[in-house]
Amino acid sequence: MTQTTEDDRLLIEAAQADPARFVEIYERYVDRIYAFVRRRTENRAAAEDITSQVFEQALGAIGRFKWRGAPVSAWLFRIASNALADHWRERARDVQVTPPDVPDPGELEDIDRRIALYQHVEQLPELQRQVIQMRFVEEKSIREVATALDRSEGAVKQLQLRALESLRKSMGGHD
Amino acid sequence: MTERPLTDRLDETVDAIVARRDATDALRDPELAPLARIAADLRHYPSPEFKASLRAQLERRASMTAVTTAIRQGFTTVTPYIRVREAGLVDFLAQVFDARETFSGRGSGGGMHREVRVGDSMVIIGEGDAGGGGVMPIRPVAFHVFVNDADATFERAIAAGATPLGEPADRAYGERSGFVADPFGNHWYIATPLGRESVAGALRTVTPVLHVKGAAAYVEFLKRALGAIEEMRHDEGGQLRYARLRIGDGAIELGEGEPMPGSFLLYVGDPDALYQQALAAGATSLMPPTDQPYGRIGGVEDALGNQWFFSRPVTTSS
Repeated sequence: MTQTTEDDRLLIEAAQADPARFVEIYERYVDRIYAFVRRRTENRAAAEDITSQVFEQALGAIGRFKWRGAPVSAWLFRIASNALADHWRERARDVQVTPPDVPDPGELEDIDRRIALYQHVEQLPELQRQVIQMRFVEEKSIREVATALDRSEGAVKQLQLRALESLRKSMGGHD
Repeated sequence: MTERPLTDRLDETVDAIVARRDATDALRDPELAPLARIAADLRHYPSPEFKASLRAQLERRASMTAVTTAIRQGFTTVTPYIRVREAGLVDFLAQVFDARETFSGRGSGGGMHREVRVGDSMVIIGEGDAGGGGVMPIRPVAFHVFVNDADATFERAIAAGATPLGEPADRAYGERSGFVADPFGNHWYIATPLGRESVAGALRTVTPVLHVKGAAAYVEFLKRALGAIEEMRHDEGGQLRYARLRIGDGAIELGEGEPMPGSFLLYVGDPDALYQQALAAGATSLMPPTDQPYGRIGGVEDALGNQWFFSRPVTTSS
């Protein structure tokens, strides 16, 4: 048994004994499930909605979950896959929708690379992190960010550049 | 073009990426390309606020799940309670669904209290005018019930005195089902799953169905009041046509329709906490939690007339 599956087994057992500990499963997998869902949804709101459904369903089913040695992520991806199919079915009632496959090793690698990037964002100096969040999550323009942070547009562009260069270096890019 | 400052070139690229416009020009600019690739990945950066808010929501619901553990053996968290004026419903259920009475006794109000197993599900039946502690009205309720052969069970129901409400037919939602009203007016949606579209896999043999006005808002109420978890929903024409909600390890289904309110017994670890939570969500008290010979019980009625009784049994064995 690998360390990951052993950790998963302990997480499941803990959550089954005390559902309050389900948040540990959530913390461990939310980024991965979100990344999987986000690539298959039209916008951030839909991805957030489906990610919420996945963890709510998992919490509801945790008591009935039977540990069979597979990683917890496989179970969560399966729930996500069905939730995505429901989502697209609602948008195309007459079209046959097949749940998407759970990620293959190539996609998992890509997801893990992006999760590492997001973790590096958390480590950025506060102002740079705020610029990244406002530009990419809140989709604010440079002018809006400048107003929110009470900085000049030129200064915000500099912060944006420094943040991206720092992330590139953290991800193994060259100077 | 490349003489322009990198800050500006990068900013234009970020604008294009966020707006989902073509940003491939950036890949031909050696200075810009590696930054553009990072920027493209950041478009899917999850919102920290979203993650924190979902975590808080899960913590709230996990604490609800934690208290819904003191369930009597053979029961789930949610058990429908059907009030009827006279005896006979148990016989009907035995004849049609091979139901088995597991307990009967004189209730505190003087009527008969019967517990009936149908497949893997439990239904409680209160008989007589004085049952239900005087607060539970006699009224028909609706159920979704899964059987091996919907046509044969439908025929048995008619033979046992039920009124047909809809002949068995293949339904678009993945089941073959026929609808009947039993001699007491309760609706039974008798179904056999047809394929993976069916909700049968997620449900037990019998699941209560609530027809309500304003179903979408009612779902939100049940989330706040009972910690219900929405597992599935289908909206059509601006209305919620179908939703499946999990409450503890039990489930209910609901949808927009002519109201058929019901009464439910919820076995929970802390009836006082759930009672207070339901009141805080807008329900009205029917009976504050008190200790009874069979356990602690309290109850509320919501704005749509559905009644929710919260009980912690004296022992966890039946």
